[in-house]
Amino acid sequence: MSIADSRNPALGAAGTTTTSRKLRAFDIGGLILTLITLVFAILWAFPIYWGVITSLKPESQVISKTVEFLPRTWTIEAYWEVFANTMIGRWYVNSLVTSLGVTAITLVTSALTAYALSQLRFPGRTVLWYLILASFMVPLTALIVNHFILMAQLSLINTWMGVILPQLIHPVVIIVYKNFFDSVPKEYREAAKMDSASEWRIFSRIYLPMNWGVTTALAIVTFIGAWNAFLWPFLAVSKPEMMNVAVGITQVNDAFGVHYARELAAAILAALLVAVLYLIFQRRVTQAIMLSAGVKG
Amino acid sequence: MSDIVLKEVSKSFGAVSVLDKVSMHIQSGEFIVFLGPSGCGKSTLLRMIAGLEDVTEGEIHLGGRRVDQLPPNERGVAMVFQNYALYPHMTVRDNMSFGLQNVGTPKPEIIRRVDDAARMLEITQLLERKPAQLSGGQRQRVAIGRAIVRDPKAFLLDEPLSNLDAGLRVRTRLELAQLHNRIKATMIFVTHDQTEAMTLATRIVVMNNRRIEQIGTPMEIYSRPATRFVASFVGSPAMSFLPVTTVSDVGGKAAFSFAGQKPVTTSVPFVGLPNSNLTFGIRAEAAHIDPNGDIEGVADVVERLGERSLIYTRLADGSTLVAEDNGVSSVQAGEPVRIAIDGQAAMVFDEAGTAYHAAA
Repeated sequence: MSIADSRNPALGAAGTTTTSRKLRAFDIGGLILTLITLVFAILWAFPIYWGVITSLKPESQVISKTVEFLPRTWTIEAYWEVFANTMIGRWYVNSLVTSLGVTAITLVTSALTAYALSQLRFPGRTVLWYLILASFMVPLTALIVNHFILMAQLSLINTWMGVILPQLIHPVVIIVYKNFFDSVPKEYREAAKMDSASEWRIFSRIYLPMNWGVTTALAIVTFIGAWNAFLWPFLAVSKPEMMNVAVGITQVNDAFGVHYARELAAAILAALLVAVLYLIFQRRVTQAIMLSAGVKG
Repeated sequence: MSDIVLKEVSKSFGAVSVLDKVSMHIQSGEFIVFLGPSGCGKSTLLRMIAGLEDVTEGEIHLGGRRVDQLPPNERGVAMVFQNYALYPHMTVRDNMSFGLQNVGTPKPEIIRRVDDAARMLEITQLLERKPAQLSGGQRQRVAIGRAIVRDPKAFLLDEPLSNLDAGLRVRTRLELAQLHNRIKATMIFVTHDQTEAMTLATRIVVMNNRRIEQIGTPMEIYSRPATRFVASFVGSPAMSFLPVTTVSDVGGKAAFSFAGQKPVTTSVPFVGLPNSNLTFGIRAEAAHIDPNGDIEGVADVVERLGERSLIYTRLADGSTLVAEDNGVSSVQAGEPVRIAIDGQAAMVFDEAGTAYHAAA
């Protein structure tokens, strides 16, 4: 007994020390990891930070011999310049109209196509499905010359429609919708059939509302994609008043020479809407990206 | 009138036949139960009546009108699905209204019919809830309510109780019987549960292996099964089947010996019986533990059910005879027992499984 008694406290003490040492070691590991993450986060965020503070400097202080992490004089002059001397308001409207147009038309047509492919039996269904899958493999840029010629023949260059039409090809939206429609238990469709529902009613009152989450997620990514689109809107539009924001901000450069504060102010204004949207719908966007990558959330 | 007549209805999926020339006549207002093991084709038959599966061959008539080529909504039937298939994004009221909205029923009429059905099923307080906020039993009622509001000629119910827990199942079974009494509609109910079939049905259709084995009232099915399959499928515990060794004529009635026991005289007429490969069938309630009984065996397993005990008795030839004893049976497993058989309740089956009963 006495041996055990005399050993026990010693053992206990040793045990505690080991545990606390382990804890401390774990903490240090965690700290190092946090620091590394922080460094990467700073590296990633720095250009954005630099853009923001540069846009808030007077043009005369943008180029200086020392590195200045904060403006000596704070000003929103660059933003006033952009508003006063460019058509950014008009570009915003163009971007909104074309992006909303692309989103709405893409979602409606894709959901209908996906519903037909998933739920209806018609001749050529499998061939159509494989064609859509195959079109997924063709990059849009490869078709850009054809699109341009087609839009020119339709006299749609420099119009909203000309910007919208070629951006409506989103096979991935159809694929995601079809996967979701496929996974709706067939009893719902049968119950609706017994309930005298037409195909349109089954689609609009059962399948679409049952997959509302997917629709919002797909709407957000499609909208962001259309808002950020540059190459096609750049080719399809030559008149400044028909440009979208992404194309328009390149004009700031042409109009004023290299004026960094103004250029960055324009760029920040261009990105603002998407950034705000992203912050609001962060979870949905992540979900949508996972969906289009084939991961069901 | 909403009689349902099936004429030689067959169904195959490609080369696989799932139903083979099924015919029956269901009277208006009957509660018909399709009973059978999994894969016997009972659900397929129900879905064919509903219009959810094509008919490969044969005809289906409903209320005197041929319906097998009509889409489901034009047949005047309503279906309750096994998993209820309530639209998850709609409230109970919307779920019940959906079918009426689709056919352009005026709004006040929809509200009236939904309210009436809800009152009948006691779900009025649930009308504004979503299906996810309901218990299994409540969902079940809503599914039935959705069928009732359409005022169909026939209700088709595909194993509607199988997702409920045991207690709720018994209660819902009772409510379903009451509902049938009240609305007097033709109902077809698919199940593999013989208790549900026995308690609910006006007539049971026992199905096995793509065909109808027997159509009859629950007591006919139980007491005078047409085939060995029906005898073994209906009733708990299952009927005991004992290979017959000799058949003798006792004043026109047949007496059977099995497993080296004394012959048991039955009410089955001797004339017309095949003389070989017969199987003697007896239910547990007609075989009692009795010290003066003629049948000897050894108790293998004793199941005490409370109000009675079941003694699984091994006979000399290795076959098992299930006998009944009272709840406080003193029989222990491994003990020799004697059993008295009520020959009046016995039946025999030939090699093909056809049953021979006492003259009706």
